[in-house]
Amino acid sequence: MARKQTPLRPYFETMPEIGKALSEAEIRRSEDNVKLIKEQEDIVAQAVEQVKNAGVPAETIRQKGQMTVYDRIEYLVEPGTWLPLHTLYNPVDNEEGCTGVVDGLGKIEGKWAVIIGFDNKVMAGAWIAGQAENILKVTDIAKRLNVPLVWLTNCSGVKLMEQEEVYAGRRGSGTTFFRHAELNKLGVPILNAIYGTNPAGGGYQGISPTILLAHKDANIAVGGAGIVGGMNPKGYFDAEAAQQLIDATKGFKAKAPGRVETHFDETAYFREVHDTEEGVLDGIKEYMRTLPAYDPKFFRVAEPAAPKYAPEEIDRIVAANQKRPYDVMQVVARLVDNSEFMEYRPDYGPEVFTGVAKIDGFPVGIIGNRQGIFPKYPEYAEGAYAGVGGKHYRQGLIKQNEFVTFCGRDNLPIIWLQDTTGIDVGDLAEKAELLALGQSLIYSIEKTDLSMMCVVLRKGSAAAHYIMGGPQANENNAFTLGTPLTEIYVMHGETAAAASYARRLVKEQEAGRDLEPVIEKMNQMVKDYEEKSRPVYCAKRGFVDEIVSLPDLRNYVVAFTAANYQNPKSITPVHQMILPRIIRG
Amino acid sequence: MASVNAPMEGKVFKINVNVGDKVQMDDEIIVLEAMKMETPIYASDSGTVKEIKVKEGDSVSEDQVLLVIE
Repeated sequence: MARKQTPLRPYFETMPEIGKALSEAEIRRSEDNVKLIKEQEDIVAQAVEQVKNAGVPAETIRQKGQMTVYDRIEYLVEPGTWLPLHTLYNPVDNEEGCTGVVDGLGKIEGKWAVIIGFDNKVMAGAWIAGQAENILKVTDIAKRLNVPLVWLTNCSGVKLMEQEEVYAGRRGSGTTFFRHAELNKLGVPILNAIYGTNPAGGGYQGISPTILLAHKDANIAVGGAGIVGGMNPKGYFDAEAAQQLIDATKGFKAKAPGRVETHFDETAYFREVHDTEEGVLDGIKEYMRTLPAYDPKFFRVAEPAAPKYAPEEIDRIVAANQKRPYDVMQVVARLVDNSEFMEYRPDYGPEVFTGVAKIDGFPVGIIGNRQGIFPKYPEYAEGAYAGVGGKHYRQGLIKQNEFVTFCGRDNLPIIWLQDTTGIDVGDLAEKAELLALGQSLIYSIEKTDLSMMCVVLRKGSAAAHYIMGGPQANENNAFTLGTPLTEIYVMHGETAAAASYARRLVKEQEAGRDLEPVIEKMNQMVKDYEEKSRPVYCAKRGFVDEIVSLPDLRNYVVAFTAANYQNPKSITPVHQMILPRIIRG
Repeated sequence: MASVNAPMEGKVFKINVNVGDKVQMDDEIIVLEAMKMETPIYASDSGTVKEIKVKEGDSVSEDQVLLVIE
């Protein structure tokens, strides 16, 4: 009889338990916290609703016999697996209120994919301002996670009234076709479901992926039929020119170029043509079945298990009052399988925790900030000041450097849980080498070839926001999530106002002038910082890739982890992993 | 009788109870402030607040008695 087991069972099958059930008092005390979080969630939900309703009403599209991009996504992905990203992203605050593309992670035929589609409600899927950056974020995710990119193309080309906002430059819309080429070069397949009229840039959008499947009415072309010829422009328009244009347009009978008759029947670019919109998506599903993916058991170190404590309770744990501490291990206990965690050096660098957990049965590294006050720490400042949670000190930075390096060696994807106010400052901190140790952490991250996801649980501030695997870690950070409690800024508004106006206050007072105008400016600055650090603003500007409710974090963590282990480029045999042995000693 | 002590140095930011109030174990009774962070102090027992030994704004040292519950 065959005997089977998961690898390194004595380390991974059962790991130390963390967390505990909430007491009645904790539940009672946290009612207001839940309400405060709900208020923030409502603000986010309202903004999301506006984006979803951008452009013409969904019903108008459906009346034409077409599906909206949301209908297409719903048909394509397995129920319950769609995890949207960049929903509120609109970095230049364009008038459409969105970037005209909808994207996220989803499972198709049992495999994770990055999925993106043009919102055909918004100017028939035009290139609009901010869209290219959105697409580049998406191709980056597919590259980092090494999972297929699925396009739902329906692109009418440049919004001509604003071509200067989308067309030119190093990161203009054409750059996305180079990213497609790069993905193909790297072996990351791109499946393309093509609908509607796709001229010019839309044509390249159609042709640049790996596999092209078309709807019967789709076309892709170098240029569209809308560019009416036969004119003799004077360099300006007058009534005569306008009349010529009217006549030419009325007499224009040509069909759009690049139709199925050409690109299926003649050139054979399209692998398939389908009579129905659903048929194209069925074709995508069929191709997904052909793509490489490991059986999860290849990499699992234990059977998947839900956290022992409900993720919904995180709303009762993370304090909405940013000045209040909370027990972050109670959060971790509600994110990881079976609420188990193998902590690395728990007695060293207490302001941060590092350790190994299981997500959906796969091993991962987790790093995050602890909150609270740490008397008699850091050792280099004993007697001068106490350590405070959310800050980084010498030991914590050394510990994170070590842990990231070992994760790199063991190929453990890393999940960062940020709630940080920065790195300790002052002469003592400089002598303790914090500047170099922060940069060393950046080097340690870059030196690995690991995927990382970052969650800004509450504060992402100062250099700590980027040294903790933030979105600035372009090569490693697959995506960054915010929560209803996220605040991201270089420093707190009050600190910034003090830094900016302290000398001015002194001068004004010495000159015997009224301080009130300066105070007013300072308060305005505080308000400005507050408004420009809130979750919706962070998502709109792309500081985070999505705002996710605290209980929903578990779904994103599972998707990130499973996507990582779907088709990794590098493998560490589990029985040769060093980190579990180092932790056990 | 049980005393509630300061777990660290800091300032008394807020007192949520009055003498004579009934409290349940784990109720938030005092908030200390240190290093710009608020640290809530919870009742270690259920009972009645017999004496409050500090007032808002006071500086307190580690282990100092803040109030007494009977």
